[in-house]
Amino acid sequence: MIDGTRAHAHPPRRSERVVIVVGAGAAGTAAALAAAARARRVVMVDGGTGATTLSTGALDLAPWSRASRPPAALTAGARGVLAAMDAHALPEAGARLLTTAGIERPARGHDAALLDVTPFAGRLLGVVRCRRPGWDAAALARSWGEGYEPLDATILRHVDETVLPDADFAARHDDPQRLGWLAERLREALARSERRFAALVLPPCLGVERARGRTLSELVGASCGEAMGLPGGPSGLRFERARDRALSAAAVERVRGRATRVGSAEPGWRIAVESAAGEPLTVDGDAVVLATGGLIGGGLEYAPAEAVFASALPPAPRLPFGTSPPAPVAIGAHGRPIDLPSTLFGPAPESIAWPFVDAALLDRVGVLAGDDGRAAPGLFVAGDLRADGPRTWLDALATGAAAGSTAAESAVSDPTPSWLGAASPSRP
Amino acid sequence: MSDPAVSVLPPPTAMPVAREPLADATEVDVAVVGGGINGTGVARDLALRGLRVALFERNDLAFGASGNSSGMIHGGVRYLSRAPHVTETSCRDSGYIQRIAPHLLFRIPFLMPVRSGPKGRVALELIDAYFRAYDDYQPLKRGEPHCRLDPSELAELEPGLVGAVVGGITFDEWGVDGARLCVLNAIDAIEHGGRVYVHTTVDAVEHAPARAAAGPRYVVTASDRFTLERVRVRARVVVNATGAWSPVTAALGGLPQARVRVRPGKGIHVVLDRRVSNYGILSEAIDGRQIFVYPWQNVSLLGTTDDDYYGDLDDVQATSEEVRYLVQGVARVFPAVREARAIGTYAGVRPTLYAYGTNEDALSREHEIVDHTADGAPGVYSMIGGKLASYRLFAQEMADRVARGDFESQAPCTTHVRALPGGDRAVDAVRLAERHGVTPVAARRLVYRHGSRAERVLERIERRPGERDVTCPCEPVLEAEVRHVVADELARTVDDVSRRTRLGLGACGGMRCAARCGQIVAEERGLSPREGGLMAGEFLVRQARSRLVALGPVQARQEALALAHLRSSMGQP
Repeated sequence: MIDGTRAHAHPPRRSERVVIVVGAGAAGTAAALAAAARARRVVMVDGGTGATTLSTGALDLAPWSRASRPPAALTAGARGVLAAMDAHALPEAGARLLTTAGIERPARGHDAALLDVTPFAGRLLGVVRCRRPGWDAAALARSWGEGYEPLDATILRHVDETVLPDADFAARHDDPQRLGWLAERLREALARSERRFAALVLPPCLGVERARGRTLSELVGASCGEAMGLPGGPSGLRFERARDRALSAAAVERVRGRATRVGSAEPGWRIAVESAAGEPLTVDGDAVVLATGGLIGGGLEYAPAEAVFASALPPAPRLPFGTSPPAPVAIGAHGRPIDLPSTLFGPAPESIAWPFVDAALLDRVGVLAGDDGRAAPGLFVAGDLRADGPRTWLDALATGAAAGSTAAESAVSDPTPSWLGAASPSRP
Repeated sequence: MSDPAVSVLPPPTAMPVAREPLADATEVDVAVVGGGINGTGVARDLALRGLRVALFERNDLAFGASGNSSGMIHGGVRYLSRAPHVTETSCRDSGYIQRIAPHLLFRIPFLMPVRSGPKGRVALELIDAYFRAYDDYQPLKRGEPHCRLDPSELAELEPGLVGAVVGGITFDEWGVDGARLCVLNAIDAIEHGGRVYVHTTVDAVEHAPARAAAGPRYVVTASDRFTLERVRVRARVVVNATGAWSPVTAALGGLPQARVRVRPGKGIHVVLDRRVSNYGILSEAIDGRQIFVYPWQNVSLLGTTDDDYYGDLDDVQATSEEVRYLVQGVARVFPAVREARAIGTYAGVRPTLYAYGTNEDALSREHEIVDHTADGAPGVYSMIGGKLASYRLFAQEMADRVARGDFESQAPCTTHVRALPGGDRAVDAVRLAERHGVTPVAARRLVYRHGSRAERVLERIERRPGERDVTCPCEPVLEAEVRHVVADELARTVDDVSRRTRLGLGACGGMRCAARCGQIVAEERGLSPREGGLMAGEFLVRQARSRLVALGPVQARQEALALAHLRSSMGQP
């Protein structure tokens, strides 16, 4: 099931191992699903939402920029995870998505509710007018360029919908009746208009439980989809729902709470967790996949000495970064451990951050790991937490799936990565 | 080998004579160079006296020191012992500003804790006596007299204070939005017949070829920085009010730069994401300078530094060392500033009067008018120094000199009695909000910035209901206000809009509003959407730079998210 279309025909052989996955975003989900197909038992420690839930639905492999790049290859593991979640589209030729910043951008794939405008090149697309924050259909149509025109339609039903956050508004269209009402309004608008629209662009609003784009398109008789909105919109919630369905189908156990410590428990690992109810508990396993996110998700912390030690000077030269939870891993960038900062209080931000410097330390810092995500024997990292990664959705899936499957299969006595000898772990 | 002909500034020769035909030149009485508080103030004053004024600003109004000040029209308490007349004029003028722009002012009570120590008690007595003297000036600006507090009262008023204290005192100051003060002066000048050219660099100031006894003596040539369009103006009088840029401007007119020397003092402020203290709090930096944290509009400010600056005046930035200096100094008495999220910094260069050998702080903020008659340019003046609190007085002195000396006009100065735009009467923000169907918070901020003109902004909504939308949710700023400042307040970029409305200066750093603002500005100005997007991108990059120097643990997360979102929705700038 995980390795794509023929997974059922040749299910992977299961090991006797217990894999713990810390983190429930794209990387953690990929790791858990990949491990679930291979390990005896998979436990996910779910500390809440992070960068994935804040994402707006574009699936990129490399960071997108205005310069077009050839689409990069996607690993079978990442494809398998997307197939298991069944909430995204991955057109082989890539997609073109619309953002509410007024840009039409390329993407490798997308949340199923977003409108991919590739098939409609050269045809007229309607931008549905409505009084939602940040949604000025006329301005957006102009910004997206030729081929977009505003379309007058009534899609708000209650007064509060002019100020309701995107996600809450989208949740209303999970109700089939409401979705039918919306379809009727759009059909009316299309019938009223003298123009012939090939597809309709809506603000982020098409459901939270599942993407309602296809259902709506069938009801309306024309393709309908969302433009990408602001972080914290429905796209992140749709991911969470799809993840929950996929994880329970794969029988992954979930512990709700924040991991507070990653320690070794011979021969494997022990994760200390503060549960959602505030109680301390521990989870033991043979291997651990840390997928707690980067700076956005909180897995990596920027902690300059002045913030930690307040008025006292730091007791020893100290790296301004740490992992949360503390773990015996090496933090670095550019494939090597970070040099110690040269100022009393930590680094000068001017020297580590974009736009002061390109390829800035803050964009690249993370846990040093091998290609399969191994950061220490039996300890793997995936997603944004990895150093030098592109920090994209599809990279999180690919590294997550790789770490999950390796964690399920390899033994703790595997060779130690070379840099662990060179650098002492940031925190024991 | 350096080529003597190549120099950053033109050599200080005598002012040249214009050779090109002047058919296209507009005739005015006075050309003012510089759109800071001195330039806009004097332009307004002259316009109110019925003179024809043209003002040129190279960047945006309030781009330099005026828009990057501490945002206070304080009474100059620190000059009390050295130069009490500075304190008096500051206080008196502060009172006048309250009269002409009451909507723009807000009270900031300050606490000054006095630390225990061998001389603590004596220090408290001395400070108490010092402020007793300051109390004499407080009525001039409707300030409350100071209070003496014992340690328990201090702790009650401001529970976040730490350290052993023998007591403290309070004193009263007024906050103001310096950028808006400049804009209001410029708008009033326009409404009284003046012309204001923003983003227009003066390229040359030349003698007019034929000098009539009462006619124009000078030709000012300027060009628009975006459209490269040339503007030529003939004027009888030229006022150089370019602050720290003054020597550069003087050189453009062939005047000796040494006559308009300024000591460029760079000052930075750190912006915290909310009002972290109830009162302004004074503290001592490690070198003994007075620094402070104070609530200002929706945020708290930490200020300020004072260092000589010899860098690029068009791109002054705070550095992380300066931020650390302030945070460390204030955290000594108010440690909450360490944990607070710093959402930005800003920096400006004060044009203090030039004096050699004194340290930066001892330089007075007094002002001076330089008459360039001796340099062969009668009717050319430079305004040197000055401070926000006494800008009106400085403008009046300058305008008196020009009006009486060069135009034989006896029209009296009226800038202290005639209200600035929007300052004529109070309006009820809550009722306004109800009438136009906008949120009361947005209406309250709108009324703060625009006074009675808020009604005019909100009337736009009746014509186009879509403008009721909130463009910047942090501050908040309505779409109607964004369009208003582009249409009626000379804003031309997202940056300009931000300076006039505080759009994008809140906790999200413009992540949620810059793109939309770019679309609106492009639409209002008839530019392509792409240009609007580029404008928004430039604003975001500049803001990111100003935030990062104050990067802390919490802001690092927000910064990463903002950058990821920017890259995802607009492409990597």
